[in-house]
Amino acid sequence: MTENCRLIENRELQETLYHFRVEPGMDLYVLPRPGYQKKYAVFSTRFGSIDNCFRVEPEQEYTKLPDGVAHFLEHKLFEDERGNVFDRFAALGASANAFTSFTQTSYLFSCTANFEQNLQHLLDFVQEPYFTEKTVEKEQGIIGQEIKMYEDHPHWRVFFNLLEGLYCEHPVRNDIAGTIESISRITPDLLYRCYNNFYHPSNMALFVVGDLVPEQVGRQVEENLSARNYKTMGAIVRQYPGEPDKINRKRTVQELVVSEPILLLGFKDMVAGNLQGREKMRREILMELLLDILFGSSEELYNNLYREDLIDENFDAEYTAEINYGHTMIGGETRDPDQLYHRIMEAIAGINKKGISEEQFERHRRKILGGYIRRFNSLEFIANNFLALRFKGADLFQLPSILHEVKREEILAMVEENMDPDRHAVSIIAPENQ
Amino acid sequence: MLEDTKYHYLENGIRLIFMPTEKFKTISMGLFVHQDLTPERAAYNALLPSVLEQGSSDYPDYLSLQQKLESLYGADVATDIVKSGERHILAFTMETAHDRYLGENGRLLAEGISVLGSVIGNPLVENNAFREDYVRQEKNQLIKDIRAILNDKVSYATERCLALMCAEENFGVFKLGRIEDYEQIDPAGLYDYYQILFNRNPIDFYVIGDLDEKIVRETADKIFAFPRNGETLELSGTEIMRPVEKIKFHEEEMAINQSKLVMGYRTYTSYQDDLYCALLVYSGILGGFPHSKLFMNVREEAGLAYYIHSRLEKHKGLMVISAGINYEERDKAREIIEQQLADMAEGNISDVELDNTKQGLVNQLRSRQDSPSQLISFHLDSSVGGKTYTIEELAAGIESVGLEELKAVADRVKLDTVYLLRPREGGSM
Repeated sequence: MTENCRLIENRELQETLYHFRVEPGMDLYVLPRPGYQKKYAVFSTRFGSIDNCFRVEPEQEYTKLPDGVAHFLEHKLFEDERGNVFDRFAALGASANAFTSFTQTSYLFSCTANFEQNLQHLLDFVQEPYFTEKTVEKEQGIIGQEIKMYEDHPHWRVFFNLLEGLYCEHPVRNDIAGTIESISRITPDLLYRCYNNFYHPSNMALFVVGDLVPEQVGRQVEENLSARNYKTMGAIVRQYPGEPDKINRKRTVQELVVSEPILLLGFKDMVAGNLQGREKMRREILMELLLDILFGSSEELYNNLYREDLIDENFDAEYTAEINYGHTMIGGETRDPDQLYHRIMEAIAGINKKGISEEQFERHRRKILGGYIRRFNSLEFIANNFLALRFKGADLFQLPSILHEVKREEILAMVEENMDPDRHAVSIIAPENQ
Repeated sequence: MLEDTKYHYLENGIRLIFMPTEKFKTISMGLFVHQDLTPERAAYNALLPSVLEQGSSDYPDYLSLQQKLESLYGADVATDIVKSGERHILAFTMETAHDRYLGENGRLLAEGISVLGSVIGNPLVENNAFREDYVRQEKNQLIKDIRAILNDKVSYATERCLALMCAEENFGVFKLGRIEDYEQIDPAGLYDYYQILFNRNPIDFYVIGDLDEKIVRETADKIFAFPRNGETLELSGTEIMRPVEKIKFHEEEMAINQSKLVMGYRTYTSYQDDLYCALLVYSGILGGFPHSKLFMNVREEAGLAYYIHSRLEKHKGLMVISAGINYEERDKAREIIEQQLADMAEGNISDVELDNTKQGLVNQLRSRQDSPSQLISFHLDSSVGGKTYTIEELAAGIESVGLEELKAVADRVKLDTVYLLRPREGGSM
């Protein structure tokens, strides 16, 4: 065992995670899962769609980016001087992919053979950019089609229309892929400028899971990085516009070809950005409990709404606490968005008076714990969620311990901070008249 | 691991399929009732699981059932209806965290299976009928689900193409049936149907997890003890030989931005066919992967599409190519697609394409062993397809495919239907 490796034991899950600190400052996590055929690796950078204005110490001036650069860069890394990166994964029998979210970009593969070579390939292509005028121009056409596809997607539209309603300034209100106009302003120079900063290993992390030997993976990654002679880089300073307390727009209605209206109701909160690491995760768990007690399928409200044909089984409520923003979203397809809206608001207003029983609290706590354990069947779930939480300063493996320590009394206190009626907005997709 | 599968017939003829394994954190089980896919029965098959899931004699409504499941650490009971070739499968599944992680010492298997058993075998019945309000409510939800195909334009376009292509065959029946079929179903008729179905149709019960075989058998024997009349019904196979008389073309307008092109082909090759592995490789080289001909030429070379792929309906022997494109570029896209099929037929296939595709298929196949639900669906294919392969047998079959077999597949493949969903008023924005 090298000295820069630390073991993290989790008794509830009966798992041991190996954490390596790789020069120049990258985190590597390896989780052995004996008996699995598949090995999965995900290599992520803290560069998402919201990171659209930054500088690197000691620079003084900020670089302002058009919307959609992180996602565009993700597409373009799959091409290099030798051609298409997918081909080389294919030659090694691996399935490769990538995704860009608001806060990160991730590159991944899974394979049942040739793991070492595939990992080498992942490390190499992500660390070797190749952008030209010609390839950038071609990608504008492909991403243009991707944007158009999402324009026809009602659940995607209702979600972004709500973000636009909730946020006045914060870039989370902009589509991850940008717009056809914004991506037309992307150039190879701009991509290199972003690449050289956000893809420095100190801004990245790698998670590997499967039936493998942690020390071997650690050594391979260390060797790959050390051969590249990285210089230490100044800190990345991201600039985000100040987000006011108020929301941007109370109600957004868009007409699309849908069989039934869709309602999504959201609350912006002003606390998520102030919570650090474990506290942020604790807040997410408290909110998951609260939302499940309010809207879950084992409670009266859900069953009444279902019987009255106001919701279907996809009705959902979710809370998100990110680096510097947070919100709650509730909704689904409904025949009557206004009535569903009133019922949701009524339930939130009434929860303090109604209270939460010990039996209720215990049941929902068990449900979350069981669901968490079940999801550990999936290597992709573990790796992707571990890194997403890691980038927020939290630790996926701490969920059981946080779940054990939260108190019933704390839950109701969330309503005031996270579901303030003054900071709510509504997004509706209405059926287009054919 | 599938080599480890244990089979056992319960006294009433239900087949228990147990896959012991230590690698999962869960206990997973699923009971599957097999039926022929027909226009008359499709709505009954879809409605029945939904009604049963609303409550049983032991848990008389959805609320009490869900509360019970929550106390079992959020065990998940779900129902579904699956269309696989011209087979219609009613699915009842249960998944719970394994006791080992919760200090529950065997209780979760026993209680979980008994809840599932209650939903399936001990329904709420009044005067020889299901509860009228549950039936009405679930009919309404399913009718909404049928209308909702419209919401996802990609799957809508695929469904439309298949429905037009197979309008004269049972495969053309949508898996939830038609809206008008629901009007005729009453609670007593549905209960009759339930009794007939569970009395005669083939039923497979799967259990996957780190469990003792003897306990699994004894528990299953006890919970699924309802009587059946002995003889299990023989189901019909799937028709795959229907000839293409004339290629069908359909265009439909909608207020959307992106056109969806869907091309349906008949391959005349079933799951049991000696060329089945060659068909997998054929479709893989053509459009199953990012290295495939369609992706490379339509997307990477011409930049016409974001998504472009081919998929197989393995039991019906159909291949479907889908792409999202600009309306103005529809002819160009079709031309490039057809050129790729021509290349396949002429044997313009490089060693790299062949080898990469084989490796990719084998990778997908072996990966299925890492998911309980994938293990079940792989095994269900053998029930539907009438031939049992182990994962390694299929992998070896894929690896042995050569250009001659690919040529033989290419000679069989016939274009049947071209469907285009286009933006209204002549063009996209």
